[in-house]
Amino acid sequence: MTSVRDRNESAWLLPPHPGQNHQLRADMRRFADDDEIDIAIVGCGAGGSTLVQRLARRGWRAVAFDAGPFWDPERDWVSDEAGSHHLYWTEPRVIAGDDPVPLGSNNSGRGVGGSMVHYAGYTPRFHPSDFRTHTADGVGADWPLSYSDLKPFYEDIEAELPVAGEPWPWGDPHSYPHRPHPVSGNGELFLRGARACGITAKVGPVAIANGRFGNRPHCIYRGFCLQGCKVNAKASPLITHIPDALAHGAEVRADSMVSRIGFDERTGRATGVHYLRNGTEHFQRARMVAVAGYSIETPRLLLNSRSARFPDGMCNDFDQVGRYLMVQGAPQTAGRFDAEVRMFKAPPPEVSTEDFYETDPTKPYKRGFSIQTVSPLPITWAEHVAAQGHWGTDLRRYMSDYPHWACLGALCEFLPLEGNRVTLAEETDRHGLPVARFSYSQCDNDRQLMDAAQGVMERILRAAGADEVITIKRFAHLVGGARMAADERHGVVDRNCRSFAVPNLLITDGSVLPTQGSANPALTIMAVAARAAASLANREEE
Amino acid sequence: MSSLPLSPADGGGRYPGFRTLDQSPHWDAATTEVVLARVEHPPGIRFFAAREQALAQALFDLLLAQTGEPRVPVLELVDARLADGETDGWHYDGMDPDPQAWRATLAALDDEARAGSGSGFVEADADAQRAILQRVQAGGQDDWHGYPASHVWSLWTRYACTAFYSHPWAWDEIGFPGPAYPRGYKNLGVDRPEPFEVPDAHPAEDPVSRGARS
Ligand SMILES: Cc1cc2nc3c(=O)[nH]c(=O)nc-3n(C[C@H](O)[C@H](O)[C@H](O)COP(=O)(O)OP(=O)(O)OC[C@H]3O[C@@H](n4cnc5c(N)ncnc54)[C@H](O)[C@@H]3O)c2cc1C
Ligand code: SF4
Repeated sequence: MTSVRDRNESAWLLPPHPGQNHQLRADMRRFADDDEIDIAIVGCGAGGSTLVQRLARRGWRAVAFDAGPFWDPERDWVSDEAGSHHLYWTEPRVIAGDDPVPLGSNNSGRGVGGSMVHYAGYTPRFHPSDFRTHTADGVGADWPLSYSDLKPFYEDIEAELPVAGEPWPWGDPHSYPHRPHPVSGNGELFLRGARACGITAKVGPVAIANGRFGNRPHCIYRGFCLQGCKVNAKASPLITHIPDALAHGAEVRADSMVSRIGFDERTGRATGVHYLRNGTEHFQRARMVAVAGYSIETPRLLLNSRSARFPDGMCNDFDQVGRYLMVQGAPQTAGRFDAEVRMFKAPPPEVSTEDFYETDPTKPYKRGFSIQTVSPLPITWAEHVAAQGHWGTDLRRYMSDYPHWACLGALCEFLPLEGNRVTLAEETDRHGLPVARFSYSQCDNDRQLMDAAQGVMERILRAAGADEVITIKRFAHLVGGARMAADERHGVVDRNCRSFAVPNLLITDGSVLPTQGSANPALTIMAVAARAAASLANREEE
Repeated sequence: MSSLPLSPADGGGRYPGFRTLDQSPHWDAATTEVVLARVEHPPGIRFFAAREQALAQALFDLLLAQTGEPRVPVLELVDARLADGETDGWHYDGMDPDPQAWRATLAALDDEARAGSGSGFVEADADAQRAILQRVQAGGQDDWHGYPASHVWSLWTRYACTAFYSHPWAWDEIGFPGPAYPRGYKNLGVDRPEPFEVPDAHPAEDPVSRGARS
């Protein structure tokens, strides 16, 4: 196997201290709109950045567009919750359905690095069973891929981030390139409670280098991972894939919102992307287009790309675009201890259990959930407390007790349902483009999982010594919306992320996932994009 | 600067002498600028009209039990977000975008108070004001002046809590040391404060269960 540095030099291209390589950005190659580039990639997040790095390494002339800025963490990010609002996608969106899912800070990012700029940093693999839930459990869908198809890409990405954790006993057992981090009060109590209940819990897996990695410094355990890591310790594509892509001749075109995919009625092929920059519309010509704008914006862009051939949106011949969007049920349960936990110290992602991940035949529900530490900062914690119905002096009194609380979060595998989807709303954004309307309703299985997960979290916290527990129901991690499938009647792209309807159009972000397991999705999104890049490059270069 | 007024029975004075701002020399420049701006120059009112301002002030004082000075400038911080369009973007189907929803729900507070006692919400006595808020909170999916009550409650509390707990004076009250870059933390684990953290003076008193009993 080649060394990480031979495959991806990003960590060595950064300066040996927090901050960015300004020279690399100043020297970035720039293409003209009427150069026909090899590929235009929409979105510089988990999926888009992985793809651009892989293709640039193979000599492709690639431009990755992002609607948001090209961040300079030293200048643009702060060690403060409210001051981090600009990291989120806050353009208008409408939420609907029986169980609407709030978006904004809780869901998607903007700018180079995408949502991984403010993700927590958990990077578990999916289990082999996730790829065949329909066959195994009669629910969800089977992927047109198996776990073993993805495994080498998981290993590659884990080395590139890199991931730290204990040897992992669940799913396909594996180990991690970096040792587990020391744990804070929150992680300590989780481990203690789990041990008392006979539940296996492990430290990791987190995409936070333990020790120096290339020029990236060590984590300083400051707890602001969800506000963007100013230290460069936590992995995001901004530091793990974009530097290498630039060094290999790719262009990142920030502050450029793609409004429509160009299409030639005669050839039936994509011709490039229409985008808005500084209030003017441009068109970049490209031989291929890849969409990686997140599970809401990807379907929205396809639906907004209408033509005579695609009156209902590109690739939407069989009304599949926007469907089977999933969130994970993410209830958070907190426990109160007389001792001081101070959960805000150390990264929120520390310890997990996947003991409840697989279908348990003794239970009335299918599939399962995982449990992890989450360590809300004051504003998010106030939301948790206010959700119990507290306000006024009650709220202040509860909040004054902050250092005494530990907090766990579950990720429940909600099932992919046809009716959970993105459509276009009447409302338009400031560019006049129809905004996404995202409708969500849970099924019985979903609700049963939420209750079961809450019960286990309460048990763990009580076993660790908590005298009171409180729960808030939340949701996390959107995936799906343009899923991969065996054929065009059941999905939008094939196993290599190529759209069925337009031969030179790919989708390479979380939208293509047909199921979600109870794992956080970023690692899988990157692995799927890396696999798509390999198959694309091999095929095109033949 | 002194600490916010809060009686010990309501959780005041648990971290004696702890002042987050004392640590500001250890913060990075970008963070310092953002946080100190909240303390030093609360922005002027640009979004709320005069009556809305009075209504919002009364609402925030109730939601956050701010009864005297010094006061976290919640009104000013919320006004700035709405004036700058710094919303979370999303809104419920059938609910207006946040700025319009704010104006409409504040006006509804007045309508509701007038229908009850004849005087406006601001002029109503504290018990009457609290009773109105309790109705909204308990309303669930029921309609409250054109919106589902639960969505109104979520709108108000989201903005109020975000503003209040973004302020260093509120952090002092809850023992949170605030920004932590570039210094970070060294003492991880249960009951392992940093030298600059102040442990809770009444750890076993558990104001939570006391609150639940009362
Ligand atoms: C608070 C929080 C915590 C999380 N924690 C974890 C975690 O611990 N582990 C984990 O695995 N996942 C976590 N996630 C989820 C994870 O970050 C996302 O699932 C993942 O980043 C999605 O990858 P993506 O490629 O689909 O989209 P993104 O990474 O969101 O990238 C999409 C990019 O496309 C850009 N874009 C969108 N539309 C356009 C357009 N029309 N034109 C140009 N650019 C466009 C956006 O600006 C964005 O930068 C978390 C998310 C949140 C919000
Ligand atoms: S805790 Fe570590 S990984 Fe998280 S933001 Fe701080 S330095 Fe970065």
